[in-house]
Amino acid sequence: MTMPEVKSHDCDTLPKLFLKMSAVRGDRIAMREKDFGIWQSYSWNDYREYALAIANGLLSLGLQRGDVVSIQSEDCKEWLFADLGGQLAGGVVNGVYPTYQARQVEHTLIDSNCRYLFVEDEEQLDKFLEIENELPDISKVFVFDWKGLRGFEHEKVVPIETLYEAGKTYGTQHPHRVERIVADGRPDDLAILIYTSGTTGMPKGSMISQRYILFQINLAPDAVRQTETDELLTYLPLCHVAERIFSAWIPVSTGATINFAENSETVAQDLVELSPTYMFAVPRVLEKFYSRITTAMSEATWIGRKVFDAAMRVGMRRAEVLIAGEQPTALLNMQFQLADRIVFRNIKKALGLDRIKGLVSGAAPISRGLLQWFLAMGIPVDEAYGQTEAGVVTATRQGVIRLGTVGPAAAGVDIEISDQGEVLLRSPGNFSGYLNQPEKTAETLVDGWVHTGDIGTLDEEGNLSITDRLKDIIITAGGKNITPSVFENELKFSPYVSDAVVIGDKRKYLTCLVMIDQENVEHYAQTHAIPFTDYKSLCASKEIVALIGTELERVNEGFSSVETVKKFRLIDILLTAEDEELTPTMKLKRSFVNEKYSNLIESMYGE
Amino acid sequence: MTVPLLELRNIETFYGPIMAIRGVSLKVLEGEVVTVLGANGAGKTTLLKTASGALDSRKGQVLLDGNEIQNRDPDWVARQGIAHVPEGREVFPLLSVADNLAMGAFNRADKDAVAKDLETVYDYFPVLRKLSGKLAVYLSGGQQQMLAIGRGYMAKPRLLLLDEPSLGLSPALVGEIFAIIQKLNQEQGLTILLVEQNANAALRASQRGYVMEVGGMVMDGDSDVLLQSDDIREFYLGKKDEGVRGRRRWKKRKTWR
Repeated sequence: MTMPEVKSHDCDTLPKLFLKMSAVRGDRIAMREKDFGIWQSYSWNDYREYALAIANGLLSLGLQRGDVVSIQSEDCKEWLFADLGGQLAGGVVNGVYPTYQARQVEHTLIDSNCRYLFVEDEEQLDKFLEIENELPDISKVFVFDWKGLRGFEHEKVVPIETLYEAGKTYGTQHPHRVERIVADGRPDDLAILIYTSGTTGMPKGSMISQRYILFQINLAPDAVRQTETDELLTYLPLCHVAERIFSAWIPVSTGATINFAENSETVAQDLVELSPTYMFAVPRVLEKFYSRITTAMSEATWIGRKVFDAAMRVGMRRAEVLIAGEQPTALLNMQFQLADRIVFRNIKKALGLDRIKGLVSGAAPISRGLLQWFLAMGIPVDEAYGQTEAGVVTATRQGVIRLGTVGPAAAGVDIEISDQGEVLLRSPGNFSGYLNQPEKTAETLVDGWVHTGDIGTLDEEGNLSITDRLKDIIITAGGKNITPSVFENELKFSPYVSDAVVIGDKRKYLTCLVMIDQENVEHYAQTHAIPFTDYKSLCASKEIVALIGTELERVNEGFSSVETVKKFRLIDILLTAEDEELTPTMKLKRSFVNEKYSNLIESMYGE
Repeated sequence: MTVPLLELRNIETFYGPIMAIRGVSLKVLEGEVVTVLGANGAGKTTLLKTASGALDSRKGQVLLDGNEIQNRDPDWVARQGIAHVPEGREVFPLLSVADNLAMGAFNRADKDAVAKDLETVYDYFPVLRKLSGKLAVYLSGGQQQMLAIGRGYMAKPRLLLLDEPSLGLSPALVGEIFAIIQKLNQEQGLTILLVEQNANAALRASQRGYVMEVGGMVMDGDSDVLLQSDDIREFYLGKKDEGVRGRRRWKKRKTWR
C-alpha cells in the first residue's frame, strides 16, 4: 500500500519545512525564555542559526544519517535547537525524561544505540557519568548549562558553546552540506524516537517517521486551532509526544510563539505573567486550577461567596444551554456578561487564562464536571485524543460541545472499534513500530491499524468516547466488568484528591488507594484545627481519613452497588516525579502501585 | 495518654500581612529535650515567641498542661513556668552577672530557694561565679550565652525555651553548652524546647526533633531516626553522596521521608 503524500507548506519533512519557514519569518519572535527573571526573545533567525550550528557541529564530529542523538533536559530553548539540529543533520532524535534515574537513562541510551547526548546541566551530566562505562557508543556529551562544572575535564564532555563554535566553522567550510542532507530526506525516514513508560518492564521506543510529524503538523488549523498570533506556554516534558506536537512541531508550520515555563514549579506564576492564548494541559493541571479557585472561594468573605455562587449559577445555566447545542437567550447572555465582568474575568486573570483561546486537554481522561466548570466561566476546554503510536487523532470541534467525547476523527484518520471494543486507528501518521521489538510491534500494528489498547465507542456523529484502557478493566470475583477510570476521574474532581487507583480484579469488592492533594488537604486541616506535623501524620489523622471518606461516599452515590468502592487507604508517602510510582506527568502507575502497596491493598481485603 | 507539658496546635502567626508560621503543631512531654530544626527564616524564632507569649498567634492554641495560654502577656506566661532564652542572648549589658541572674528570678518570692538555685547555676557554669561582679557587656559570647541560660534557669521554669544557643560560638563552646543543656535535663529534670540550625549538636542532645521549612513542619521523629534521614544528612549535616565527579553541587529535591 502506498502512503498518501503528506505535506505542509509544500514540504514533506520537518527539516525542509523548518528551513523554509524560518527563512520566511526571519526576525519574528519564535520563542521566549526566562533568564535571570527577564523574558528573553529569540527570533526565527536565531532558532535557525542555533539549529544549523548544532547540525553542522554534529556533522563535523562525523554524525551519519540515522545516528541517534538524545536530549536529556527539562524544556528550554536548547531542547528545540538540538531537536531540529539533530534532524537537520540527518540524525534521529530521542528525548530522555530528566526525571529518569541513571538506570532508566541507561536503558534508553543503550536500546537506541545513542551516539551523541545533550544534557541540561551538571545534575543530568552526573547520571551519564554514573553509567558511562556501559555506554561506549556515546562519542560526545554536550552540556547546555556549564554552571558548576568549571575546571571539570572529561574527554567526551563539552559545553554546548563548543559545539556551536565547531558548527559555525564547519558550516563556513561546507556551506551547503546541511541543505543537501535535508533535500535528501524522505517522508519515511526515521525522525525521532519516543520512549513510553511501559507500565510493565522497561520503556519501549516508538519509531516516528517524518510523515508522522508532518501529518501531525497538518492537524492545524482545522483540528488544532493554533495560529500565527498565538502565544503558547510550554511546560510539559517535550519528551512526551503531546507537548512535542503542540509546542515544537505545529509552531514550525503556524508560526505561533513558544514560551518556556521557567521550571515545573513556577508554571502557575509563568502562566499569570504570560497569559498565553493557546495551551495544552493534562487534566491534572486543570484540576489544580479548579481546586485553587474553590479553596480561595471557601475563604472569601460572605458577600464574595454569594456573588461567586450567583455568577457560577448563571455560568452553569449558560453552559447547559451550550451543551444542549442551543443558543443562550439574550437575557442569559446579558447575565453572563455581567457575571463575567464582575467575577469570571478576575478569576481568569488570577489564573492567567484571561486571553486563552485554545485550551486543549489530553493525555488522560478528564472529568465531565471539570469541563462544565470551565465552560461556565466561558472557557471551553477542547479535548484531544491520541497516543504515541498514532499521534493526535481526534479533537473536539469548535462550538460543538459533546462532553464525554474526545471529538471526531481528524481528517485522514480512520477509526474502527474492534469486536472486543478496542479502538483501532489508521492514518498516514501511524508510527513505524517499536525499536528492537518486532513481537511488540506485531501486537500493536496489525495490517496498518494501530491497536490502541483503549476501549471506546463512536456515536452517530462520529465522536469518539474512551471508556478505559483494555488491560485496566477490572473483572471482580462476581464476574462484573468495571472500568476503574470512570470512578477515579470522578474522585479526582475532589479538590482533596490528587490521584486514585481503584483495585478489585478477581476480588469480592472494589477498593481504592488515594493520593491526597497536599496543598488543599493541609489547608483543610489548618482551617479545621486538625493538628499534624508532616505528610505522614496528615494522612494518618482521623479527620482527614474521614474527609476523603466523605468525598468517596459522594462519588459512590453515582454508581450502582457493585461499582462502588467499599474501602480505601491513603498513600502516606509524598511522591515526586522522580519516584517510579508516578509517570513524568504525575499520574500513578497502576501496576506499579498494585505491586508496591500490596500490603496496604491486602489490608483492605483481610477480615 | 499523658497530657503534654506544652502543646502547639495549628498555630498561625503573622507579622502584619505576612504569615510567618502557617499551621504548626508540636508537643513537648515533661522531662524531654525537643529540637526544632530549620534554616534561616523557617519560623523557628517566631514559634518560640508565640509559645512564650512574646507574639500573639492569629489562629491555633498553645496549651500548657492542657490549658490554653495563647495570646496572654509574656510575663504572665513566664509566671506559669515558661522561661524564654532569646536568640542572641540579650543579657542586660550594664548589669553585673549576679544582677542579671537575679533578674531571672524577678517574680519569685522564695528567697531561700532562689539562693539555692543561684548556687546551682554557679555549679553548672563555674565561670559565671568567677565573673559574678563583672558587667555582662564585658563577657565573651559563650559566657553571655551561659549567663542567658542561667538567667532562664533562675526563673525555676517548668519549660525552658532556648533560641539558637549555638549562635556565633566556636565548635568547642557549642559542645560545652550542649553538654550542660543535657546535664540540666538529666540532673534537674528540666524540660527543654530548643530551636537550632546546628542539627548535629542539637539532635544528639535531644530525644525528639521537628523540622520546619517556610513556616510549616515537614518532618518529625525521634532524634536518632532524624540523624539517619537522607534529607537531614544532606541539608543539615552537609553529608551528601559525593557523586561520580567527586563533588556534587546540585541539590536533590527534598522529600523529608
